[in-house]
Amino acid sequence: MRGEKRIYERDVIIETISRLLIPFIQLFALYVIIHGAGGPGGGFQGGVIFASSFVLYLVVFGLAAAGKRFPEGANTALMSTGVYLYAGVGLLCILVTLGAAEYLNYGYIPLTHMFEENRALGMDLVEIGIGITVMAVITEIFFNLVWKKEEEGGKEE
Amino acid sequence: MIVPIDLALLTLIVIIALVAITVKDLLSAIMLLSAYSFLMAMVWVEMHSVDVGFTEAAVGAGATTAFLIAALARTVRWEKG
Amino acid sequence: MIEWLFGELLAKYNYWVSIILILIGFYAMIAKDNLIKKVIGLSIFQTAIFLFYISLADIGPLPKKGTAPIVSEEMIHMGYVYVNPLPHVLILTAIVVAVATTAVALALVIRLYEEYGTIEESEIIEKERERGL
Repeated sequence: MRGEKRIYERDVIIETISRLLIPFIQLFALYVIIHGAGGPGGGFQGGVIFASSFVLYLVVFGLAAAGKRFPEGANTALMSTGVYLYAGVGLLCILVTLGAAEYLNYGYIPLTHMFEENRALGMDLVEIGIGITVMAVITEIFFNLVWKKEEEGGKEE
Repeated sequence: MIVPIDLALLTLIVIIALVAITVKDLLSAIMLLSAYSFLMAMVWVEMHSVDVGFTEAAVGAGATTAFLIAALARTVRWEKG
Repeated sequence: MIEWLFGELLAKYNYWVSIILILIGFYAMIAKDNLIKKVIGLSIFQTAIFLFYISLADIGPLPKKGTAPIVSEEMIHMGYVYVNPLPHVLILTAIVVAVATTAVALALVIRLYEEYGTIEESEIIEKERERGL
Protein backbone atom coordinates (compact mmCIF):
# COMPACT_ATOMS: atom_id res chain seq x y z
CA MET A 1 0.00 0.00 0.00
CA ARG A 2 2.79 2.37 0.90
CA GLY A 3 4.98 3.84 -1.82
CA GLU A 4 2.67 3.20 -4.74
CA LYS A 5 1.04 6.29 -6.21
CA ARG A 6 -2.69 5.96 -5.81
CA ILE A 7 -4.36 7.33 -8.90
CA TYR A 8 -7.54 9.23 -8.17
CA GLU A 9 -10.54 7.72 -9.94
CA ARG A 10 -13.67 9.78 -10.53
CA ASP A 11 -16.97 8.16 -9.61
CA VAL A 12 -20.05 10.03 -10.83
CA ILE A 13 -22.50 8.57 -8.32
CA ILE A 14 -20.39 9.24 -5.25
CA GLU A 15 -19.49 12.77 -6.39
CA THR A 16 -23.10 13.74 -7.12
CA ILE A 17 -24.44 12.28 -3.89
CA SER A 18 -21.83 14.04 -1.79
CA ARG A 19 -22.39 17.34 -3.63
CA LEU A 20 -26.03 17.01 -2.60
CA LEU A 21 -25.25 15.84 0.93
CA ILE A 22 -22.52 18.26 2.06
CA PRO A 23 -24.74 21.41 2.25
CA PHE A 24 -27.29 19.57 4.37
CA ILE A 25 -24.60 18.29 6.75
CA GLN A 26 -23.37 21.87 7.14
CA LEU A 27 -26.92 23.16 7.68
CA PHE A 28 -27.44 20.55 10.40
CA ALA A 29 -24.14 21.60 12.00
CA LEU A 30 -25.26 25.25 12.07
CA TYR A 31 -28.59 24.17 13.62
CA VAL A 32 -26.74 22.24 16.33
CA ILE A 33 -24.49 25.23 17.10
CA ILE A 34 -27.37 27.74 17.34
CA HIS A 35 -29.65 25.33 19.23
CA GLY A 36 -26.95 24.41 21.76
CA ALA A 37 -27.95 26.92 24.45
CA GLY A 38 -31.31 25.34 25.25
CA GLY A 39 -30.95 21.67 24.41
CA PRO A 40 -28.52 18.93 23.49
CA GLY A 41 -25.78 20.09 21.19
CA GLY A 42 -23.46 23.04 21.29
CA GLY A 43 -20.35 24.54 19.79
CA PHE A 44 -18.12 21.47 20.05
CA GLN A 45 -20.60 19.00 18.57
CA GLY A 46 -21.60 21.37 15.78
CA GLY A 47 -17.95 22.02 14.98
CA VAL A 48 -17.25 18.30 14.74
CA ILE A 49 -20.24 17.78 12.41
CA PHE A 50 -19.09 20.71 10.26
CA ALA A 51 -15.59 19.22 10.07
CA SER A 52 -17.03 15.83 9.11
CA SER A 53 -18.48 17.42 5.95
CA PHE A 54 -14.92 18.47 5.00
CA VAL A 55 -13.75 14.92 5.75
CA LEU A 56 -16.39 13.65 3.33
CA TYR A 57 -15.17 16.14 0.71
CA LEU A 58 -11.58 14.92 1.13
CA VAL A 59 -12.54 11.24 0.93
CA VAL A 60 -14.59 11.75 -2.24
CA PHE A 61 -12.63 14.37 -4.18
CA GLY A 62 -9.07 13.52 -3.19
CA LEU A 63 -6.37 15.34 -1.28
CA ALA A 64 -5.34 17.79 -4.02
CA ALA A 65 -8.82 19.26 -4.50
CA ALA A 66 -9.44 19.40 -0.75
CA GLY A 67 -6.11 21.13 -0.15
CA LYS A 68 -7.11 23.76 -2.72
CA ARG A 69 -10.49 24.31 -1.06
CA PHE A 70 -9.23 24.46 2.52
CA PRO A 71 -5.69 25.89 2.50
CA GLU A 72 -3.60 25.53 5.64
CA GLY A 73 -3.24 29.30 6.15
CA ALA A 74 -7.00 29.84 6.17
CA ASN A 75 -7.46 26.99 8.66
CA THR A 76 -4.83 28.45 10.98
CA ALA A 77 -6.49 31.87 10.77
CA LEU A 78 -9.89 30.32 11.60
CA MET A 79 -8.47 28.54 14.67
CA SER A 80 -7.32 31.82 16.22
CA THR A 81 -10.45 33.68 15.04
CA GLY A 82 -12.65 31.38 17.12
CA VAL A 83 -10.54 31.81 20.24
CA TYR A 84 -10.54 35.62 19.82
CA LEU A 85 -14.32 35.61 19.36
CA TYR A 86 -14.72 33.47 22.49
CA ALA A 87 -12.54 35.68 24.66
CA GLY A 88 -13.53 38.94 23.00
CA VAL A 89 -17.24 38.58 23.76
CA GLY A 90 -16.36 38.18 27.44
CA LEU A 91 -13.99 41.13 27.39
CA LEU A 92 -16.57 43.25 25.56
CA CYS A 93 -18.76 43.24 28.70
CA ILE A 94 -15.97 44.96 30.63
CA LEU A 95 -15.21 47.35 27.78
CA VAL A 96 -18.72 48.66 27.05
CA THR A 97 -19.60 49.24 30.71
CA LEU A 98 -16.13 50.58 31.60
CA GLY A 99 -15.51 47.91 34.20
CA ALA A 100 -18.92 47.97 35.89
CA ALA A 101 -19.92 44.43 34.75
CA GLU A 102 -18.04 41.21 35.37
CA TYR A 103 -16.09 39.26 32.77
CA LEU A 104 -18.39 36.91 30.77
CA ASN A 105 -21.58 38.65 32.00
CA TYR A 106 -23.15 38.81 28.55
CA GLY A 107 -26.27 40.72 29.54
CA TYR A 108 -24.48 44.06 29.43
CA ILE A 109 -23.49 43.85 25.76
CA PRO A 110 -25.73 46.44 24.01
CA LEU A 111 -26.98 44.25 21.15
CA THR A 112 -30.72 44.75 21.86
CA HIS A 113 -32.72 46.58 24.52
CA MET A 114 -33.56 43.48 26.56
CA PHE A 115 -31.07 42.21 29.16
CA GLU A 116 -32.08 38.54 28.72
CA GLU A 117 -31.94 38.71 24.94
CA ASN A 118 -28.47 40.21 25.19
CA ARG A 119 -27.44 37.27 27.36
CA ALA A 120 -28.87 34.72 24.89
CA LEU A 121 -27.16 36.42 21.95
CA GLY A 122 -23.86 36.53 23.85
CA MET A 123 -24.11 32.80 24.55
CA ASP A 124 -24.77 32.18 20.85
CA LEU A 125 -21.71 34.25 19.89
CA VAL A 126 -19.52 32.21 22.27
CA GLU A 127 -20.91 28.96 20.81
CA ILE A 128 -20.12 30.20 17.29
CA GLY A 129 -16.53 30.95 18.39
CA ILE A 130 -16.12 27.45 19.85
CA GLY A 131 -17.63 25.96 16.68
CA ILE A 132 -15.21 27.81 14.37
CA THR A 133 -12.17 26.71 16.40
CA VAL A 134 -13.24 23.07 16.68
CA MET A 135 -14.11 22.89 12.98
CA ALA A 136 -10.69 24.22 11.96
CA VAL A 137 -8.77 22.03 14.43
CA ILE A 138 -10.54 18.74 13.56
CA THR A 139 -10.17 19.44 9.81
CA GLU A 140 -6.49 20.22 10.24
CA ILE A 141 -5.83 17.08 12.35
CA PHE A 142 -7.50 14.89 9.72
CA PHE A 143 -5.68 16.55 6.83
CA ASN A 144 -2.33 16.19 8.60
CA LEU A 145 -2.99 12.53 9.41
CA VAL A 146 -3.78 11.79 5.74
CA TRP A 147 -1.18 14.02 4.13
CA LYS A 148 2.30 12.57 3.57
CA LYS A 149 5.26 14.77 2.80
CA GLU A 150 6.95 13.79 -0.49
CA GLU A 151 10.46 14.86 0.57
CA GLU A 152 10.45 12.84 3.78
CA GLY A 153 9.07 9.76 1.99
CA GLY A 154 11.83 10.03 -0.62
CA LYS A 155 14.51 10.26 2.02
CA GLU A 156 13.21 7.26 3.90
CA GLU A 157 13.10 4.82 1.01
CA MET B 1 -33.80 3.43 32.12
CA ILE B 2 -35.67 0.47 30.60
CA VAL B 3 -34.15 -2.76 31.89
CA PRO B 4 -34.66 -5.17 28.91
CA ILE B 5 -33.32 -2.67 26.35
CA ASP B 6 -30.41 -1.87 28.66
CA LEU B 7 -29.52 -5.56 29.14
CA ALA B 8 -29.69 -6.31 25.40
CA LEU B 9 -27.55 -3.31 24.46
CA LEU B 10 -24.92 -4.04 27.13
CA THR B 11 -24.67 -7.70 26.10
CA LEU B 12 -24.16 -6.67 22.48
CA ILE B 13 -21.55 -4.11 23.56
CA VAL B 14 -19.47 -6.69 25.45
CA ILE B 15 -19.60 -9.11 22.49
CA ILE B 16 -18.56 -6.38 20.03
CA ALA B 17 -15.70 -5.25 22.29
CA LEU B 18 -14.40 -8.82 22.55
CA VAL B 19 -14.55 -9.31 18.75
CA ALA B 20 -12.97 -5.91 18.08
CA ILE B 21 -9.81 -6.76 20.02
CA THR B 22 -9.64 -10.33 18.62
CA VAL B 23 -10.03 -9.84 14.85
CA LYS B 24 -6.85 -9.76 12.75
CA ASP B 25 -8.07 -7.31 10.09
CA LEU B 26 -7.52 -3.85 11.57
CA LEU B 27 -10.11 -2.21 9.28
CA SER B 28 -12.73 -4.61 10.66
CA ALA B 29 -11.58 -3.79 14.19
CA ILE B 30 -12.02 -0.06 13.52
CA MET B 31 -15.50 -0.50 12.05
CA LEU B 32 -16.47 -2.68 15.05
CA LEU B 33 -15.23 0.09 17.33
CA SER B 34 -17.49 2.51 15.46
CA ALA B 35 -20.46 0.18 15.99
CA TYR B 36 -19.47 -0.08 19.66
CA SER B 37 -19.54 3.72 19.95
CA PHE B 38 -22.98 3.94 18.33
CA LEU B 39 -24.38 1.31 20.71
CA MET B 40 -22.82 3.17 23.63
CA ALA B 41 -24.54 6.36 22.43
CA MET B 42 -27.84 4.43 22.43
CA VAL B 43 -27.20 3.29 26.01
CA TRP B 44 -26.63 6.86 27.10
CA VAL B 45 -29.69 8.28 25.42
CA GLU B 46 -31.69 5.48 27.03
CA MET B 47 -30.23 6.52 30.41
CA HIS B 48 -31.59 10.07 29.78
CA SER B 49 -28.15 11.55 29.19
CA VAL B 50 -28.96 13.02 25.78
CA ASP B 51 -26.07 15.47 25.61
CA VAL B 52 -23.41 12.83 26.16
CA GLY B 53 -25.14 10.49 23.71
CA PHE B 54 -25.20 13.18 21.02
CA THR B 55 -21.54 14.00 21.56
CA GLU B 56 -20.55 10.33 21.48
CA ALA B 57 -22.42 9.74 18.22
CA ALA B 58 -20.73 12.77 16.62
CA VAL B 59 -17.23 12.43 18.06
CA GLY B 60 -16.67 8.80 19.07
CA ALA B 61 -18.36 7.20 16.09
CA GLY B 62 -17.53 9.92 13.55
CA ALA B 63 -14.29 11.77 14.18
CA THR B 64 -12.38 9.00 15.98
CA THR B 65 -13.22 6.46 13.26
CA ALA B 66 -12.08 8.91 10.58
CA PHE B 67 -8.80 9.47 12.43
CA LEU B 68 -8.19 5.73 12.85
CA ILE B 69 -8.86 5.01 9.17
CA ALA B 70 -6.56 7.90 8.19
CA ALA B 71 -3.83 6.38 10.36
CA LEU B 72 -4.48 2.95 8.84
CA ALA B 73 -4.06 4.40 5.32
CA ARG B 74 -0.52 5.47 6.28
CA THR B 75 0.44 2.14 7.94
CA VAL B 76 -0.33 -1.55 7.33
CA ARG B 77 -3.79 -3.08 7.38
CA TRP B 78 -3.17 -6.59 8.73
CA GLU B 79 -2.06 -7.54 12.21
CA LYS B 80 0.73 -10.11 12.31
CA GLY B 81 0.70 -13.31 14.31
CA MET C 1 -29.03 -15.55 50.05
CA ILE C 2 -30.67 -15.71 46.62
CA GLU C 3 -32.59 -12.53 47.34
CA TRP C 4 -29.41 -10.78 48.39
CA LEU C 5 -27.70 -11.99 45.20
CA PHE C 6 -30.42 -10.61 42.94
CA GLY C 7 -31.13 -7.50 44.96
CA GLU C 8 -27.63 -6.27 45.63
CA LEU C 9 -25.29 -7.82 43.08
CA LEU C 10 -27.24 -8.29 39.87
CA ALA C 11 -29.45 -5.20 40.22
CA LYS C 12 -26.41 -3.03 39.64
CA TYR C 13 -25.42 -4.82 36.43
CA ASN C 14 -24.28 -1.58 34.79
CA TYR C 15 -21.27 -1.48 37.08
CA TRP C 16 -20.42 -5.12 36.36
CA VAL C 17 -20.52 -4.47 32.61
CA SER C 18 -18.36 -1.42 33.15
CA ILE C 19 -15.76 -3.50 35.04
CA ILE C 20 -15.83 -6.18 32.30
CA LEU C 21 -15.24 -3.54 29.59
CA ILE C 22 -12.40 -1.99 31.61
CA LEU C 23 -10.74 -5.42 31.82
CA ILE C 24 -11.20 -6.01 28.06
CA GLY C 25 -9.59 -2.67 27.24
CA PHE C 26 -6.80 -3.22 29.75
CA TYR C 27 -6.06 -6.66 28.29
CA ALA C 28 -5.87 -5.16 24.78
CA MET C 29 -3.53 -2.43 25.97
CA ILE C 30 -1.16 -4.84 27.74
CA ALA C 31 -1.20 -8.08 25.76
CA LYS C 32 -1.79 -7.06 22.13
CA ASP C 33 1.31 -6.58 20.00
CA ASN C 34 -0.17 -4.22 17.42
CA LEU C 35 -0.06 -0.51 18.24
CA ILE C 36 -3.42 0.31 16.60
CA LYS C 37 -4.99 -2.50 18.66
CA LYS C 38 -3.56 -0.79 21.72
CA VAL C 39 -5.26 2.47 20.67
CA ILE C 40 -8.55 0.58 20.24
CA GLY C 41 -8.10 -0.90 23.73
CA LEU C 42 -7.49 2.59 25.11
CA SER C 43 -10.73 3.75 23.50
CA ILE C 44 -12.69 0.84 25.02
CA PHE C 45 -11.16 1.59 28.43
CA GLN C 46 -12.20 5.26 28.24
CA THR C 47 -15.74 4.41 27.17
CA ALA C 48 -16.08 1.93 30.06
CA ILE C 49 -15.19 4.68 32.53
CA PHE C 50 -17.79 6.94 30.87
CA LEU C 51 -20.36 4.16 31.35
CA PHE C 52 -19.48 4.00 35.06
CA TYR C 53 -20.04 7.74 35.49
CA ILE C 54 -23.30 7.87 33.52
CA SER C 55 -24.61 4.91 35.56
CA LEU C 56 -23.85 6.89 38.72
CA ALA C 57 -26.00 9.74 37.40
CA ASP C 58 -28.96 7.55 36.44
CA ILE C 59 -32.04 7.35 38.62
CA GLY C 60 -33.19 3.80 38.05
CA PRO C 61 -36.01 2.03 36.21
CA LEU C 62 -39.00 3.82 34.79
CA PRO C 63 -41.58 3.91 37.65
CA LYS C 64 -39.47 6.57 39.37
CA LYS C 65 -40.28 8.97 36.50
CA GLY C 66 -36.72 10.05 35.87
CA THR C 67 -36.35 12.21 32.74
CA ALA C 68 -33.57 13.97 30.89
CA PRO C 69 -32.32 17.11 32.66
CA ILE C 70 -34.21 19.43 30.26
CA VAL C 71 -37.43 20.13 32.19
CA SER C 72 -39.94 22.92 32.60
CA GLU C 73 -41.67 24.18 35.75
CA GLU C 74 -44.90 22.30 35.00
CA MET C 75 -43.10 18.97 34.72
CA ILE C 76 -41.53 19.42 38.16
CA HIS C 77 -44.94 20.30 39.64
CA MET C 78 -46.35 17.14 38.05
CA GLY C 79 -43.88 15.07 40.07
CA TYR C 80 -41.19 14.34 37.51
CA VAL C 81 -37.61 14.13 38.72
CA TYR C 82 -34.60 14.45 36.46
CA VAL C 83 -31.26 12.61 36.46
CA ASN C 84 -28.19 14.25 37.96
CA PRO C 85 -26.61 16.43 35.23
CA LEU C 86 -23.21 16.92 36.90
CA PRO C 87 -21.59 13.62 35.73
CA HIS C 88 -22.89 14.34 32.22
CA VAL C 89 -20.89 17.57 32.11
CA LEU C 90 -17.77 15.84 33.46
CA ILE C 91 -18.06 13.13 30.81
CA LEU C 92 -18.64 15.74 28.07
CA THR C 93 -15.21 17.16 28.92
CA ALA C 94 -13.73 13.65 29.08
CA ILE C 95 -14.99 12.84 25.55
CA VAL C 96 -13.20 15.93 24.21
CA VAL C 97 -10.01 14.81 25.95
CA ALA C 98 -10.50 11.26 24.57
CA VAL C 99 -10.55 12.40 20.93
CA ALA C 100 -7.45 14.53 21.57
CA THR C 101 -5.52 11.62 23.13
CA THR C 102 -6.55 9.35 20.25
CA ALA C 103 -5.27 11.88 17.69
CA VAL C 104 -1.92 12.26 19.52
CA ALA C 105 -1.54 8.47 19.85
CA LEU C 106 -2.23 7.97 16.12
CA ALA C 107 0.30 10.67 15.20
CA LEU C 108 2.90 8.81 17.31
CA VAL C 109 1.97 5.48 15.66
CA ILE C 110 2.46 6.99 12.18
CA ARG C 111 5.81 8.46 13.22
CA LEU C 112 6.93 5.06 14.59
CA TYR C 113 5.90 3.40 11.32
CA GLU C 114 7.95 5.91 9.34
CA GLU C 115 10.96 5.27 11.60
CA TYR C 116 10.86 1.45 11.91
CA GLY C 117 8.64 0.25 9.04
CA THR C 118 6.36 -1.78 11.32
CA ILE C 119 3.65 -1.21 13.93
CA GLU C 120 4.26 -4.43 15.89
CA GLU C 121 5.74 -3.65 19.28
CA SER C 122 8.04 -6.70 19.49
CA GLU C 123 9.58 -5.97 16.08
CA ILE C 124 10.18 -2.35 17.08
CA ILE C 125 11.98 -3.51 20.24
CA GLU C 126 14.07 -5.98 18.16
CA LYS C 127 15.09 -3.26 15.71
CA GLU C 128 16.01 -0.96 18.55
CA ARG C 129 18.18 -3.73 20.03
CA GLU C 130 19.92 -4.21 16.66
CA ARG C 131 20.72 -0.52 16.58
CA GLY C 132 22.28 -0.85 20.02
CA LEU C 133 19.92 1.43 21.85
